[in-house]
Amino acid sequence: MKKDNFKQFYKEFPSNPDARVKALKSILEKEGLIDQKALDEILDTYQNKVGPLNGAKIVAKAWTNKKFKEDLINNTDKVLKDMDLNGRQGEHVVVVENTKTVHNLIVCTLCSCYPWPLLGLPPSWYKSDAYRSRAVREPRAVLSDFDVKLPISKKVKVWDSTAEIRYLVLPQQPPGSKGLCENELVSWVTRDSMIGTGFPKPPTGE
Amino acid sequence: MSKAHDMGGRLDSQRIDIKSSKEKFKADWEKEVFAITLALGFSSLWNLDRSRYARESLEPKDYLQFGYYEKWLGGLINLMGENGIIKDGQENGGNFKKSSFRVLKAKNVKKLLNMGGPTKRESTTEKKFNLGETVSVRANNSNTKVEKGHTRLPDYVKGRTGKVIAYHGSHVFPDTNAHFLGENPEALYSVEFKSQDLWDKCEYFQDTVVVDLWESYLEKFK
Repeated sequence: MKKDNFKQFYKEFPSNPDARVKALKSILEKEGLIDQKALDEILDTYQNKVGPLNGAKIVAKAWTNKKFKEDLINNTDKVLKDMDLNGRQGEHVVVVENTKTVHNLIVCTLCSCYPWPLLGLPPSWYKSDAYRSRAVREPRAVLSDFDVKLPISKKVKVWDSTAEIRYLVLPQQPPGSKGLCENELVSWVTRDSMIGTGFPKPPTGE
Repeated sequence: MSKAHDMGGRLDSQRIDIKSSKEKFKADWEKEVFAITLALGFSSLWNLDRSRYARESLEPKDYLQFGYYEKWLGGLINLMGENGIIKDGQENGGNFKKSSFRVLKAKNVKKLLNMGGPTKRESTTEKKFNLGETVSVRANNSNTKVEKGHTRLPDYVKGRTGKVIAYHGSHVFPDTNAHFLGENPEALYSVEFKSQDLWDKCEYFQDTVVVDLWESYLEKFK
């Protein structure tokens, strides 16, 4: 059997992460392997441009447009590509719909896979050991940490993103939002409702 | 054998800390790690599976103690080390071939992030399992080609039985791709397991867990 172990180079670097990344960066700069403008562009993308608003727009559209919803569920990658919402960490997306009888919850137990183009970067808790270990074993207890209580008439379906398929929950439209237009509905759709750890709710005006 | 990163079902009684859930980065150094990792990911020296393997290969006690981006940073330094960009914390031209390193330029960022790295490939073989079919997961979740190598088969489903609920076409096989042994695309399925078939004490008998699994992780149910 082959061996392919990493030598632990990182141990030779300063242990403080701030100093560690500085040491690394100075080597990369000296060798001309990074372009600061490219780094700035990457950060700008994920700090300011890509976030849960993208997912919220899709959900609101799906709530108000039956044909779109069918397309979104059946031809997800094409629909997202046409909307320019595919790309890194959203190359292959599956939309899972919450119903009267099924509540979907997304996790990645092996790392922290997350649909970046639709939700942005994952929140800290999504990457935590506690969430990664508990979500598959005791999803209802995890949900209660988020103040989400589910009746036993609903089955909890946990999706562990172990491959390159990224999942987005299509939450149920809250009764109180019926009759609102697509644009108004966008602000009801929370990030957590698209991961399965929350429900859509009326905008608080924050 | 279960590794530090393979956390599904591990007994953990910690509450999920849902506060501070809006912040993307806790410190400036985290931003640096994130941006540099993504930029170097386009260097063509390694692939996504390799970088996951690099993070998983940190010393287990470090993997468990490090924050999220500290893991990324440790993994990145090891990747640079194996490519000769650094040696034992010191710069060293060594066997690093600069000509094969693609430096990410600002003008290409948007295009490359939009392209991403699709893992779906043309299927060259007939898939083995059908929708609705009951399948068993291999009893051993070790990489079959590389000692203690990378795999995306979580410990908590090995030897368990579930039902195929989706077929996603052929996808790059991480167990070989992470070790530069080729993409070897394989059929990828979503397999649904009843919680009661996974855990001694499951919360509710109707609940299920769906895991994405490559064909060679699976066997015909007997």
